[in-house]
Amino acid sequence: MTEEMLRERFLASLPETDGSSCPPPDDLWAVAAGELPFHRVQALLGHATRCAQCAEALGILQEVRRASAELPARTPPELEGRRRAMGRPLVPLALAALAGVGAWVVLRMPAPEHAVVERGLAATPSLHAISPPALPARDPVLRWSEYPGASSYNVTVLTPDLVVVHHAVGLSAHELRLPDAVAGRARGAELLWTVDAVLPDGHAVASPTFQVRLQ
Amino acid sequence: MARTRGGDERPHSSNPELMRIRQVLIRAVERHCPPGLAAHREDFVQMALIRLLDQPAGEGTATRGASYLWRVAYTVVIDEIRRFRRQQRQVQQLATGGGTVPGPEARSAILECIEALQERRRAAVSLHLQGFRTPEVAAALGWTEKQAENLVYRGLADLRVCLEGGEE
Repeated sequence: MTEEMLRERFLASLPETDGSSCPPPDDLWAVAAGELPFHRVQALLGHATRCAQCAEALGILQEVRRASAELPARTPPELEGRRRAMGRPLVPLALAALAGVGAWVVLRMPAPEHAVVERGLAATPSLHAISPPALPARDPVLRWSEYPGASSYNVTVLTPDLVVVHHAVGLSAHELRLPDAVAGRARGAELLWTVDAVLPDGHAVASPTFQVRLQ
Repeated sequence: MARTRGGDERPHSSNPELMRIRQVLIRAVERHCPPGLAAHREDFVQMALIRLLDQPAGEGTATRGASYLWRVAYTVVIDEIRRFRRQQRQVQQLATGGGTVPGPEARSAILECIEALQERRRAAVSLHLQGFRTPEVAAALGWTEKQAENLVYRGLADLRVCLEGGEE
């Protein structure tokens, strides 16, 4: 039996568990990073070799760790200055590339008819956007549905490349008026926003990610 | 960054590292999760990155180094996937009137054979079958690469013998 066949057979044999005894993901990272003593690695592997979800988490872990290891080593400051000077002629090229990436990120989004990224389950109460996907930049008010039992709401507004431009916490109303500074900067552009409904016991229910264009 | 009532200051600088992390996470979730779950990959990663940016610890990542950012991103995306699964299970349980998820006691020949391996070989083979490469097995278990290679090799040989014995 080849190694590939063994691996496939192994992964196919892993049972789905209820997840209640899965180790925290940071412990899985710590295993891969060699931060844990052998007996703890053994204990974690004892579970992970009997849990499909943990095998999945370990698969994702390896890809993430390998990608993070591909990062260039940190450049010493004295070389950094020299490289910056050498790189100046390339700045327009880099800006053009950045603009291209930005345009791709914006254009690849679906048309903002029902600009909702589906998330969660239809059978459970969910948060949805009430405000339209296009808002006037002079008075942009984000509105969302009431979540049963929520004591407050937190709202995060981001650019399509995930830069947080506004964050509001502890809102009692189901709406948020974007500050002028944010609206002014985002005029003509698209923003992403999410709402967390905070329940009295401290748990939070996350909304899907909505899109809004300020006109 | 702007602030609303009750709001707090957040870093406003663009972070190309986050873009790279996002790409890698989306690809990894797509590859390793079942299709029904992978369909939500962009959501998991999006929510994870939002939570990452939301964490006070995330603001100090520049001083902790890029690898810390990757680590936190990984943990929050796994948390998101687990949270989604919990919701799915709750809905299933409501629909069926009880739990139907098989527990970790489910048996199979290959799992029993792995369990029967000598402990160092078992650890090496477990990581190997989970997709760890030899240097990664060595790093995880604090061995030299030669030791890891040897233990994986011997462990796999034992595993094959055990499986053949069980299938005769």
